[in-house]
Amino acid sequence: MMLPELQRVTRSTFFSRLDFRTKLMTFAYVSIVAALWDNPLLGGVLMLAILGACLGVGVSLTYLGFMFRVMTPFFLLLLLTHGLFNVEYVLRLTGHAHLTPVLTIPASWPLLGGRSVSREGLLYGVNVIFKSMTFLLLIPLCVFTTDPNHLVVGLVRLRVPYKLAFVVSATLRFFPMIFGEIQAVMETQRLRGFALEDMGPVQRVRVYAKTSVPVILSALFKAQQIEVVMRSKAFSGDPDRTYLEHSAMHAPDWIFASALTVAFGAALWSYFAVGFGSFVG
Amino acid sequence: MGHILPRSAIATLERVSYVYPGSERPALLNVDLEIPRGQIIGIVGPTGSGKTTLCLSLNGIVPQFYGGRFFGRVTVAGLDTVDRPIHELARHVGMVFQDPETQIITASVETEVAFALENLKLPAAEIRTRVKAALEAVHLEGVAKKHPHSLSGGQQQRLAIASALAIRPELIVFDEPTSQLDPRSAEEVFSLIREISRSFGATVVIASHAAEEMASTVDRLVVLREGKVAADGPADGIYGNLPLLERAQLRPPDVTAAFSLLAARGLQTGPLPTRLADGIRALELLPKAQPFRPEVEPTFDPGILPILSLRKVSYTYWDGTRALEAVSVDIHRGDYTIILGQNGAGKSTLIKHFLNLLAPSSGEVLMDGKPVSSYSVPEIAHRIGYVPQNPDRHLFNATVETEVSFSLRVTDLPQEEKTRRVEEALATLDLTRYRLKHPFALSKGDRARVVVAAILVMEPEILIFDEPTTGQDDWGARAILELTKRLHARGKTIIVITHHLGLMPGFARRALVMGGGRILLDAPIRDAYHDDAILEKTFLKVTQIVALARAARPENYALTPTELAGSFL
Repeated sequence: MMLPELQRVTRSTFFSRLDFRTKLMTFAYVSIVAALWDNPLLGGVLMLAILGACLGVGVSLTYLGFMFRVMTPFFLLLLLTHGLFNVEYVLRLTGHAHLTPVLTIPASWPLLGGRSVSREGLLYGVNVIFKSMTFLLLIPLCVFTTDPNHLVVGLVRLRVPYKLAFVVSATLRFFPMIFGEIQAVMETQRLRGFALEDMGPVQRVRVYAKTSVPVILSALFKAQQIEVVMRSKAFSGDPDRTYLEHSAMHAPDWIFASALTVAFGAALWSYFAVGFGSFVG
Repeated sequence: MGHILPRSAIATLERVSYVYPGSERPALLNVDLEIPRGQIIGIVGPTGSGKTTLCLSLNGIVPQFYGGRFFGRVTVAGLDTVDRPIHELARHVGMVFQDPETQIITASVETEVAFALENLKLPAAEIRTRVKAALEAVHLEGVAKKHPHSLSGGQQQRLAIASALAIRPELIVFDEPTSQLDPRSAEEVFSLIREISRSFGATVVIASHAAEEMASTVDRLVVLREGKVAADGPADGIYGNLPLLERAQLRPPDVTAAFSLLAARGLQTGPLPTRLADGIRALELLPKAQPFRPEVEPTFDPGILPILSLRKVSYTYWDGTRALEAVSVDIHRGDYTIILGQNGAGKSTLIKHFLNLLAPSSGEVLMDGKPVSSYSVPEIAHRIGYVPQNPDRHLFNATVETEVSFSLRVTDLPQEEKTRRVEEALATLDLTRYRLKHPFALSKGDRARVVVAAILVMEPEILIFDEPTTGQDDWGARAILELTKRLHARGKTIIVITHHLGLMPGFARRALVMGGGRILLDAPIRDAYHDDAILEKTFLKVTQIVALARAARPENYALTPTELAGSFL
């Protein structure tokens, strides 16, 4: 399997052409609203809107599917945890005296015996999953649509120190390389007779731990090589460097940012004033 | 500043010695060298002889980045490379490194070229002008907006050259710029280096193992051995001095090797040619070569079921890349097969199907007539051993012995059998003396042998070597190929993926030539090496010996210097 390119989507769209600062504003506003809203229905709509935006700007289904596959175990864990254990907080949110059980674990089961999975807890779990998905989808939406060089320039214009801005863009470049290395090392493990799918969790963890040795060594080696290359290209981290690209807020940026600010203000007002977006069990 | 250079020298090294941190052995020892302006200087030597260290000392990376103990003095454009910061030296010295993957920093071709210029604080308008000029100089003007990773290996190296060129440095240093490229891309890079030197008058230093290309590119050759300058002189003189090369563990260009054999037989007088064109001219003074085409021995019994088979296998990657196109091929027990082809020809994808790491989009993969997918992971590991291009991916234990025995842990073999296999593998690979050493404390060649030993304990019938000679010097490459020969003689089926054609005659019997995801040719190695039309299709080129043989006589199918020399009466 080839790993999805995590770094960039190249389709030219209204959103991808926006300045990185406008995208950062989008990231911040949507994240805040997603964090505030506990209503699973609204959270779901917001998540779907961001998913639609991702597809619209050209984030590949392969990447989205990959992300969803990776996150699925965590989401199931979230759902179960909230369904089983999030009782006090959900009771406070709903104002009910009792939660509605949808499944009761037989009393004979160790540890969990007698506990119920509640409908309200599950709904809250769904809401948390939607929040998480929204955050996760904002990353490809805002970052992958930005040329790393524009990203650096945008961050520098926001007075982020150049070295830090460069580290952010270099990290995006480094991730696929590390994933590629992990995949190659896992393949070589299989070729030495280690079938992870047939192993128990302890043995599997041992093999993963062993795998980390060549991955870490390779990552360190490549990081050192890249630093040598960068130094050879006169990189010193000096913030006074010049840029081929320039970062500028154009009319579409101002219009989009203004509209977004109004929507954000309305969301804040409606949440705090009339409870729009509160949890409904 | 203030150091007065000889008028024509761009760089000098005076009594330079250097020891890396944590090392006891000097990487450079009392090196004196003067690099005059306008010359192309080649640096040659076996792995570990100090070539890269010397290159890195020219822009201050050694010792400023690595630390360690540095003695003597290096000056470039009058600047002391210890006193001046690296970013200041970068204005005078452009660097091109070995690995296209790690030397690309940014996400587009034009910003890659601009990166150093931005660091040098040039105005945006000046950067644009220089980027355009540099991309034109390396013939990449049409791809300015592309992502560098979408370029071929050769194009990526040309991009790295453009990045160096854009700085307009007085000196450009190339450290093994073609070791990871297929022959055509390597030729592109060397031809570009010659063009840059001619057009811009740039001074060039190249460290490389590619004897044939170096001989036709450099004016002067510096031979390093154990950190010391073992010889320094005109390239023709040094490549023509075989005893000197032998002492320095280097090989001459194939054309020189062939003519030295002719000289030994009294057929060649005067200096030995070191370039192909000179060799072809020198042929005219020789008696007519005899036809040479030995009978091809059958490599397998057609009545016996092949051990591995691909039946009309196609494979498409997730991003739509069609990597294999209806490929059918059989590998027979006892074969020694090489798979040739440019980078991206589909060689690795094909091998991954044999190893069941990829499932075909269509078609079937068989091992002993059964679908390979029906075998478990341990079963495949016991049948097929895979030696990756980068041996370090296989190493994760604290001693050579535990590394070699690691795969046996998940088997239910009796302990005595496990011990016997480990001892035998260590002995076969001459690793017994290193058994308690950490694998990473060994040289790259030794690490590769540890990986082979770790695979041999599984006693696989088939061994697949993925680009085993890449990044190795000539002696290291030959040592690995000799090992494949010994294993073949012990009955193993050997498959080698390579684009280093020159090294394989004398080892392989059969060649699969791949291009564009298809098998372009499946033939005895002699026929494949002489089929220049097919090789051309996959960006390979005939070896110097094949070119000489065909120039000598079209019916001459020699593959090695010995065969060629032997065909002159």
